[in-house]
Amino acid sequence: MKETGRLSLLALLMLLAVACGGQATTTTTAAVEPDELTVLEWAFYEVPEMWVEFGEANPDTDVVFNFGASDADIYAKILAGSGEDIMHFYTPYLQFYVDEGLIQPIDTTRLTNWSKVPTGFQESCTIDGVVYCIPWDWGFSSVLYRTDQIDAVDSWSALFDEANAGHVSMWDDGPGAVAIGAYVLGADEASITDEQLEEIKQMWIDQKDINLFYWVDEAELEAGFTSGDVWAAYAWNGAYYRLLSAGVPVAYADPAEGRNSWVGQYAISADTDSYNLALEFLDGKLGEQTATHLLVDYAYGHVVPEYFSVVEDENLVTALSLDDPGILDRTNFTVPISQEQHGSYVEMWAEVKAAG
Amino acid sequence: MKGSGVRWALLLPPGLVLLVLFVVPVLMMVVTSFRPDLRGGPFAWGWEPTIEHYQSVIQGGDFLPLLWTSARVALLVSFLACALAYPVAYYLAFRLGRSTALLLTLLIIPFWTSYLLRMIAWKIILGSNGALNSFLSFLGLTDTSAPVLLYSRSAVVVTLIYVWLPFVALPIYAGLLRIDRSLLEAAADLGASRFQAFRKVTLPLSLPGVIAAFVMVFIPTVGEYVAPILVGGTRGALYGNIIEILFGDGINWPLGSALAMLMLVGVFALIVIAARVLRVGRLIEAVER
Repeated sequence: MKETGRLSLLALLMLLAVACGGQATTTTTAAVEPDELTVLEWAFYEVPEMWVEFGEANPDTDVVFNFGASDADIYAKILAGSGEDIMHFYTPYLQFYVDEGLIQPIDTTRLTNWSKVPTGFQESCTIDGVVYCIPWDWGFSSVLYRTDQIDAVDSWSALFDEANAGHVSMWDDGPGAVAIGAYVLGADEASITDEQLEEIKQMWIDQKDINLFYWVDEAELEAGFTSGDVWAAYAWNGAYYRLLSAGVPVAYADPAEGRNSWVGQYAISADTDSYNLALEFLDGKLGEQTATHLLVDYAYGHVVPEYFSVVEDENLVTALSLDDPGILDRTNFTVPISQEQHGSYVEMWAEVKAAG
Repeated sequence: MKGSGVRWALLLPPGLVLLVLFVVPVLMMVVTSFRPDLRGGPFAWGWEPTIEHYQSVIQGGDFLPLLWTSARVALLVSFLACALAYPVAYYLAFRLGRSTALLLTLLIIPFWTSYLLRMIAWKIILGSNGALNSFLSFLGLTDTSAPVLLYSRSAVVVTLIYVWLPFVALPIYAGLLRIDRSLLEAAADLGASRFQAFRKVTLPLSLPGVIAAFVMVFIPTVGEYVAPILVGGTRGALYGNIIEILFGDGINWPLGSALAMLMLVGVFALIVIAARVLRVGRLIEAVER
């Protein structure tokens, strides 16, 4: 109960942070002091528990956190020259930073924890043989559903099922909508044609008749599930874990098309004066103490599997599918896309929302 | 000479603030709307100007029809907010004695709470277990399995009216206060009933305040995007949401700027037309007299 209360408070704060947007953000210029590190972060990852190893090794270093409200917000800030040494973004944004020359290669030989990261996750940070980031947090996207209303869900098409009319909630996100559309159509997510995009757009326009609302933050979605308004939704495993812990009858689908998975990544600015410190910060992110806090406190996955044994909470084991070693093989990791593709996906989504 | 120096000294600070925080950003928006894309960052130079974004919006798609829908929603919200606020303002201006200050404070108190929290409160009121649904199901008019009003454009209208009410009531109240009471006494002396005095004297004289209030609500409501996100559901989106998507997730500032410019021009045109129509109305009134 206490945990739920704390998480609701966090969620509410997150909602406020999102709503306040730029107002909640402070900006600083690039670090000129050698003993200062600036990080462009998401809210709640600035707490010392999320960088334990670096904090202990560098007690006198001043780590300054500035915040972004979304991947697009963080990218736009870096592009406009906000100048942080390190930034935290999610797949598929890496390609954008590399294309604009905003980040620099990572010298992985100097990372003590790099070898603990599975090859698949390492590859998520590699473009043309060059490692540009470290992977850190990850999680699933799948169909979350109420077991007292729906017997079983074995496909993403549950989000389009008339039987659930008025009780479906999709995430408010263009690229996410294109990925799901591609799974349902059986299209190759990495190379969507214009015709397929048009077809996907029409699918989502038709889906408006059964969709109750597009969720923007997880607290809103969880409230919908708790009240019984929502029976099936696109959701991340964090929401699944919290609802499960709160006793709401929910299950997380293992769709035939495969779940989706996203990966959070840290990169170092091309203009930093503190490359060595930044590298040490990134290495610390892959350390055991920080990973434990990420897993246990925030219910997100960490890229190093050997730390998973610290998770004792059965709900969390279920939510992260830690008891299912084959799950990642059946999962579709978010594919890299170009800025043009990203732009056209978001525009498609804007058209879906504008359609009557 | 001395007087004009003081005037300039007083005008300079607000003028500079307006220039830096309003004129320059609007000009940047105009320039951005002609950029092909955002490559190189917001301050990049040397790109080839294009009108493709304006073309794509005007030639097809659902964006322009949504602008018209947003304008109609804004008209409805402004009209209903004015109609609901007028009696309150009238009561405050004419019927209350000493307690006016107290009631004015009560009217303004919702402003002390965040705009966002007031919106979220409506989400709770309109939700499936909220006050409205519970009451309706108590009367046997509905069951509690799904919210009646939440997640619709009507919910957006209701929420916005609530949010704007104090904003609207204050200019109307100020307009009513300015009315010379001796005119009402003269109307009574000439045999006008209370209703006739209201219709012939109070209402026409209070119209400038009502129009000011109307415009004050109409303009921001056309570009509104928070209420549709929170209570609008799947079909409640307004034009502002599209601009927000393109500036936010889309990182497509050029197209977003073009949409914003079209809205700016559209709203400006509507206001000019409305002003013309109102002036014509007054001319007719003057001729009839």
